Amino acid sequence: MSETHDHSHDHAHPTHTHDGKPIQEDPLPSLEAQILEASVRELLIEKGVISSDDVRRAIDQVESRTPALGAKIVARAWDDAEFKDKLMSDSDEALMAFGVDMRPTELCVVENTDDVHNMVVCTLCSCYPRPVLGIPPAWYKRRDYRSRAVREPRAILREFGTDIPEKKQVRVHDSNADLRYLVLPQRPDGTEGWDQERLARLVTRDSMIGVSDALAPADVED
Amino acid sequence: MRGPQDYGGMPAGPVDPDTHEHVPTHWEKTVDAMMMLLFDQRRRLARVDESRRMQEALGDDYHKYPYYERWLQAISWLMLEKGVYSQEELEAKKAEVRARMEAEGHGS
Repeated sequence: MSETHDHSHDHAHPTHTHDGKPIQEDPLPSLEAQILEASVRELLIEKGVISSDDVRRAIDQVESRTPALGAKIVARAWDDAEFKDKLMSDSDEALMAFGVDMRPTELCVVENTDDVHNMVVCTLCSCYPRPVLGIPPAWYKRRDYRSRAVREPRAILREFGTDIPEKKQVRVHDSNADLRYLVLPQRPDGTEGWDQERLARLVTRDSMIGVSDALAPADVED
Repeated sequence: MRGPQDYGGMPAGPVDPDTHEHVPTHWEKTVDAMMMLLFDQRRRLARVDESRRMQEALGDDYHKYPYYERWLQAISWLMLEKGVYSQEELEAKKAEVRARMEAEGHGS
């Protein structure tokens, strides 16, 4: 993690105070799991591998990584052709503008078009572009999604309420330890002249995994 | 028998985007944070594929463990394998933590 990480970012929904205590009482795992977690953490601290501060800062970082960041990146790509070219060809450099460091993994951005719909899975386990989308949703980690995404993607898409016309190709990208994918959804019609902040409101997590399209203006405008 | 890394293409049940959501708990984020620290460029004590190898070593228990409990087991086995701490040190620490948690009335 970054050594220069600070505490200035906003927590929209803080779940713990900065002394590490949960604000809300979360359901806890089994006592055995609690014991193992505390034991491993305390041993790593005693051995000088990590410090309590490191853990607190890392939790802050986990919480700061949300799909809102991915949405900003997509909105800029919709609005700024030069940035989009950079994002598609050398994502590391493009992501630097957002303070995102994907290393040691590589981020491959795949673009939805009139002819192609992209969708991301990790059949191996749960590899995901965490620095730009955060922790993957539970369904992404489940056997059902992992098994079927590569065999019957259109059926899964329908379970998400996403109907892809037969004439459009569906491409499924299988992630791994070194290579992660982010879908660049199509910019919705009726958004001409929108600024990036407004555009970003249309970009959902699911649209960047490719199980849905971006929202339509009518979905977000009051 | 296919391992859990090789489910791609197998028949499976429907995906329910509404019920298959889960907001990570503070405990789960702590495990996530520990793994992230061990993965980082400074420590390089674990890699994603190593973590997966350890989770797959759970065998039939793979699906009995909740996701982050699998991660935790992977971290613990990896640290043992890499000699960061010994089995004896882990057992002693677990006994200490268990006594403390039971005294505090955890998990009851």
